[in-house]
Amino acid sequence: MHIVDGALSTEVVIAGGVLAAGGIALGLKRLPVEKIPAAGVLSATFFVASLVHVPVGPSSVHLIMNGLAGLILGWAAFPALFIGLLLQAVFFGFGGITVLGVNTFNIAFPAVLAYYATRRGCANPNPKVAAAWAAFGGAFAIAATTACVAVALAVSGEQFVPAAKLVFVTHIPIMAIEAAISAAVVFLAARVKPELLRSEV
Amino acid sequence: MAHQVFAVDAEEIPDRGRTIVRRLDPRARILAACGFAVAVVALKSFAPLLLALAGGLVLMRLADMEPLPTLKRVAMMDGFIVFMLVLLPFTTPGETVLTVAGFPATREGFVLAAQIALKANAIVLAAMALVGTMEPVTLGHALYRLKVPENLVHLMLFTVRYIDVIHQEYQRMRLAMRARGFRPANTRHTYTSFGYLIGMMLVRALERSERILAAMKCRGFSGRLEVLDTLRYHRRDAAFAVVAALFAGALLFMEFADVAAF
Amino acid sequence: MSPLFDLTGIRFGYPGRPAVLNGVDLRLDAGERLCLTGFNGAGKSTLLHIMVGLLKPDAGEVVAFGSPRRAEAEFREVRRRAGLVFQDPDDQLFCPTVAEDVAFGPLNLGKSRAEAAEIVDRVLESLNLTAFRNRITHKLSGGEKRLVTLAAVLAMEPEALLLDEPTNALDERTTERLVEILCGLPQAMVIVSHDPHFRAKVVTRTVRLEHGRLAAPDGGPEHDCCRVAAQ
Repeated sequence: MHIVDGALSTEVVIAGGVLAAGGIALGLKRLPVEKIPAAGVLSATFFVASLVHVPVGPSSVHLIMNGLAGLILGWAAFPALFIGLLLQAVFFGFGGITVLGVNTFNIAFPAVLAYYATRRGCANPNPKVAAAWAAFGGAFAIAATTACVAVALAVSGEQFVPAAKLVFVTHIPIMAIEAAISAAVVFLAARVKPELLRSEV
Repeated sequence: MAHQVFAVDAEEIPDRGRTIVRRLDPRARILAACGFAVAVVALKSFAPLLLALAGGLVLMRLADMEPLPTLKRVAMMDGFIVFMLVLLPFTTPGETVLTVAGFPATREGFVLAAQIALKANAIVLAAMALVGTMEPVTLGHALYRLKVPENLVHLMLFTVRYIDVIHQEYQRMRLAMRARGFRPANTRHTYTSFGYLIGMMLVRALERSERILAAMKCRGFSGRLEVLDTLRYHRRDAAFAVVAALFAGALLFMEFADVAAF
Repeated sequence: MSPLFDLTGIRFGYPGRPAVLNGVDLRLDAGERLCLTGFNGAGKSTLLHIMVGLLKPDAGEVVAFGSPRRAEAEFREVRRRAGLVFQDPDDQLFCPTVAEDVAFGPLNLGKSRAEAAEIVDRVLESLNLTAFRNRITHKLSGGEKRLVTLAAVLAMEPEALLLDEPTNALDERTTERLVEILCGLPQAMVIVSHDPHFRAKVVTRTVRLEHGRLAAPDGGPEHDCCRVAAQ
């Protein structure tokens, strides 16, 4: 899901950078210093979760979990996911440098949308209802991220449109898996520690 | 079992024992990586692009990175983008040079795919060599001194502080699952179990953060965090800045002065 | 009768560090409750992990339940027949409720949900834990968590149990209860424990892991019991 350096047009790279900076600034504004430890440890957990490989058919994919990150972190998902992408780019070589802004926006903006879409549903006292909303949020965030990636590519050049479509189609099974896993996460959290779903960090 | 997420060298290594790149000030390395990236994405001609890739490889050697594992990492990134690159010759309009199963592939498409591959590889190599060889904590300190917002730096420092702790916790839990016969497959049981695993990690992370905050308060924390570092620019950093600027300038000169266009 | 486990010449070192195990021979017979002692970091947990193939030894042979085991596939059967109880219950308990966690193993062995539920009830009943069935694992006390991890492993109907410091951080009452449970179980066991009172009540033989090898503690097992009695 990461776009690499060199594929996007300058306009898209700059727009992504500006939008990501705005999102990060908003996220930091809503993050008082006392909540930095919680946001940091949760952000580390999402980083580790993104290293988890789950089987899909004969192959395997690594998780993104941005819908869940949005649900739990709220706007703080912007800086948290930016940090994750920065670490992945410089330490693992995934993604790129000039596209950090675009990649952050593509993953964090759907996370924030998922937060607004599912925070009330996931606070439902019935864990099964909460899990159903989480499944929706998990699938929605991947769909929205894929759509953002597709738009960023398509705006950069006509010739990327088939690749953009392919990105969307190949991510349909991933939407299903992220939905199932997000549902199980929230089903557990709703019973074990509902504060996780209600605190916005 | 004590597998580290970030395979970087420890802070304790004395300066003298390090190679050139690792002795440079972290801020200089970050700025150079960003400048290199911006210059390289502006390139289109193959001569400067190949020179940029060579620059990335030289940096990898100067940073004393193991070539094989590093190139494997880069190849993994290439694996992610390969389907896009393979499609480009068939989707870019232009002069047909090849037909595969009835689909015409264009010269312009091959050129574009090659340009993207060269840019992406050159930049990733340079970024990993210049920045990826730092301790993550050093990266945080350097970003702070480069005027990145303080709270973002603190968030990053907390994140990198706990990634290894949580990763080890994850590995122990996975081991305990394996000991009870868990094998990932395409089943609902698998996805539910992964969900429970991640959910329990998040629950424990939140509770850990509550204990961290309590311990911070016990030591007098009152809503203020400080960044302490010992970064200092040296003369070698100035020399490096000149060399880096000259290299980037040469790349751009080759591109826009049309010295070696083909 | 052939032993349940027969390890010979086991050598193991974590990358970049000196070898922890340097030629360990270990035999576990049916009905035995073998205690493994040794300093922190002597390699006791490592040895348990090698027995069920979670770690692969650098040299040496693991014979379990009558067959030599090398490949991952061969160890899968070993893990079913020899249940490993981890040192930290939190590493093991990851499902929201006790019932789900106990059912995790049986479901991995291909049991249906109904069969798994039946096993859960039976195992909890046998350990007097029925009241815990729908409790949230994360909110149990340390002692309760320990008993549930034992139930979760017993649900796989193992022939041997490998217990890594089972009395760690338990109060006296829970330790008593654990002693009672373990002494009432038919399974052979390897128990890593630093608790001399617990050892005296449960184990039938003690070996000490020192300098990467196994040795009978000075004076043999009887001595161990006598020393406890004298205290």
